[in-house]
Amino acid sequence: MIMTMLSKLNKFLSSVKLAIFLFIAIAVFAMVGTFINQGDTISRYKSIFGSQTYHVLYWLGFLNIYDSWYFIGLAVLLIINLIMASVNILPRTLKAVFGPYPSFKAMMDKKNPKAVYEVIESKKNIEEIKKTLNKKFGKPFTEKGNKDGANIELYYSKNAIFRFSPFIAHFSVIIIIIGVMLNFRYGFRSYTNIKVGEKTNVSYLLKNQKPIKLPFIIRLDKYETKYYPDGIPKSYISKISIIKKRTHTNVLTKNVMVNHPLTYDGITIYQASYGQYKPTKVIVRILVLNLKEPKFRKYVYAETGKAYPAGIDNLNFRFIPYKNPKRDEIPFYLKILKANKKNGTVKTILFHVLPDKNLKEQIVFAKYKHAAFIYSGIDKVKTYYYSGVEISKNTYVSIVWIGSIILVISMFFSFFFNHEEVWGSLTNLEDEKKVRVEILAIPKKKFESFYRNFSKKIEIIKKELKLK
Amino acid sequence: MFANVSALDGSLYFTISLFFVLASFAGYFIFLFTGNKTISRISFGILIAGFIIQTAGFVIRWIYAYKIGIDTPPLVDLYDSMVFFAYVIILGFILIRIFYDFDALGFIITLVASLALAFASFSPLAPSAIEPTIPALQSYWLLYHIVALFLSYGAFGASFGLGILYLIKSGKSNKKQGRFLTLLPSSNIIEEAIYKVIVFGLVFLTAGIVIGAAWADSAWGGYWSWDPKETWSLITFLTYMLFIHARFTKGWGGKKMAWIAVIGFVVVIFCYLGVDLIIPGLHSYATPGSAPLL
Ligand code: HEM
Repeated sequence: MIMTMLSKLNKFLSSVKLAIFLFIAIAVFAMVGTFINQGDTISRYKSIFGSQTYHVLYWLGFLNIYDSWYFIGLAVLLIINLIMASVNILPRTLKAVFGPYPSFKAMMDKKNPKAVYEVIESKKNIEEIKKTLNKKFGKPFTEKGNKDGANIELYYSKNAIFRFSPFIAHFSVIIIIIGVMLNFRYGFRSYTNIKVGEKTNVSYLLKNQKPIKLPFIIRLDKYETKYYPDGIPKSYISKISIIKKRTHTNVLTKNVMVNHPLTYDGITIYQASYGQYKPTKVIVRILVLNLKEPKFRKYVYAETGKAYPAGIDNLNFRFIPYKNPKRDEIPFYLKILKANKKNGTVKTILFHVLPDKNLKEQIVFAKYKHAAFIYSGIDKVKTYYYSGVEISKNTYVSIVWIGSIILVISMFFSFFFNHEEVWGSLTNLEDEKKVRVEILAIPKKKFESFYRNFSKKIEIIKKELKLK
Repeated sequence: MFANVSALDGSLYFTISLFFVLASFAGYFIFLFTGNKTISRISFGILIAGFIIQTAGFVIRWIYAYKIGIDTPPLVDLYDSMVFFAYVIILGFILIRIFYDFDALGFIITLVASLALAFASFSPLAPSAIEPTIPALQSYWLLYHIVALFLSYGAFGASFGLGILYLIKSGKSNKKQGRFLTLLPSSNIIEEAIYKVIVFGLVFLTAGIVIGAAWADSAWGGYWSWDPKETWSLITFLTYMLFIHARFTKGWGGKKMAWIAVIGFVVVIFCYLGVDLIIPGLHSYATPGSAPLL
């Protein structure tokens, strides 16, 4: 009772019918996913579908269909189906490749509808007949004779090893699906926008917009769009630095472009989009000069209140406006800090106007030791960019590639290399001084070309055996 | 009238080849009703001439693209993709025709190729001017990806033609078969050809999808994003997988298989054109000046 149930279950789980059902089911659900935008925000869905439809779609899992339990369930079922089918086919395949090979009689009894069978009677002797057959079918794989030599069985087999090809194809599909699922479980794909000059370690998952913490900090140093002469964008370039969390040291800096991502610590950063924004705070442009080094000049776009490195003697500075400036006074001042001291202001310095009548414009400057800070206006011209980057952790990718390569190769061999088997039986008809030659061939695939080639071969064999 | 006939960018040659393919189509059409072998041979010759002109067109176009500073092959916009499709499907037919006596297939192949070429040459939707490649497509993967997929699309196009021939042939009893049907090879031969052509396409489809995934992994945040084009390529793959496996179940005769071949190509066409026109995604190409479509 239990055995019959198990065998029925086995039959169902290994059946090609289930495979066909799975192909169709996966295709249909995949299709649904292409017509409903996946992984959008709830508010977008509500505005597209209305609240009620949204809830129905959500309940059906249609808004995140590729992560839904039933889609993953179908993939698991496909793996089970593949394994069960392979296990069931394996003994047959092994037998076809390594033997014991079925006898002529056994194959005749099977009455395979694809089989072709020919009988020829010949007056030639057995050795001659064998030679003729071998010329057409190759060397016999096995040759068995019974004791009195009245009957000989021949078995020809070509390309038997390729019986493994579909087997390997199925195995590679299992490898691919497992690799994809491991990535689904242990990897992530997320998205974040960073403004130029800012850093973040938070990114938002593509599938549900939930924030995640990255194991390092990324900073966008610069963003640039390059154009072809006719104004079509040529490349989008984000200069991105990776900063260690604990030590706050800069690990690496790289230009990230479309088709040229940055990978660090198993996490890859891809250029995805960019945009412009208007700054909400006042940005001041300051030119820093080193009075000891005439070549030194550095522009800093400073937000008020924030500390920036001056690039001279480990100094940081902070630009601060007065709350209630007096008349005729420059309404801001600088605080100088030492970079290695926390929050410790070294000195507060004031801005002055450079007393030079020859200059067209006033120069407003402040000085600390040999560092000079020249105020060059509130920034209005500069465009502020942010860059959208996709941050992904793709794990077990090599498993998927190995599976894919094996799949393509094994498909090729499955399709174009077929196992060819021919059984021959030579029976001495003593009383008539004749040999009865029986030839049986069963193709793996029921191709017209096979039957044509076979009958051509038979024609030639007949001619040769009837000679004399 | 709008027409792509620039000798400079090579589109003139494709438009000329359209007339060769049309002439070949006319010849094959006459052949269907007369069974005159000479006519089919002439049609085949004209088709080969058209094919050579197209080959020249591609060479000229690639050199031109290279000269104006575009180092990725001009294969990505609608014009190039239609022209390349016609090229591949004609190549497929020429190969089949060399190995098999399959003249009857000629009229469907030349019809499909003419439609693709006519669309490319005369539709305002498909200007032939070579645009600089947008950043998302500047990659060496592009060429291999597109060539593999187009070889598969061409093969599936041929299997569609064969499927239709099979259905026409099996739809009538032997006695009623008119001149056209008696010219067709036997159903069994068509059935075998459908299998072989599909299987050829399937190897290249799989390779093309894998190459695309490798590219996506190096460009777009991961090897698979369930973007509509990717998803539809998987659906195409599954449809033909169904074809391959249906043969192992009882009761799936040649007729059902021919239907899958026909339906499979409808899926291919949707994957190739429908997705771009109906569903926006990674693969629908950017309008100039916009942010990358990623
Ligand atoms: C996407 C997944 C699959 C791929 C890529 C695949 C691939 C293949 C290939 C290439 C062949 C050889 C076909 C031929 O020579 O014409 C084949 C045969 C076969 N497949 Fe699959 N298959 C898949 C899924 C399945 C599943 C789920 C089953 C479950 C029953 C299955 C059962 C079989 C069987 C029974 C054969 C015949 C094997 C033989 O002749 O030794 N396949 N498959």
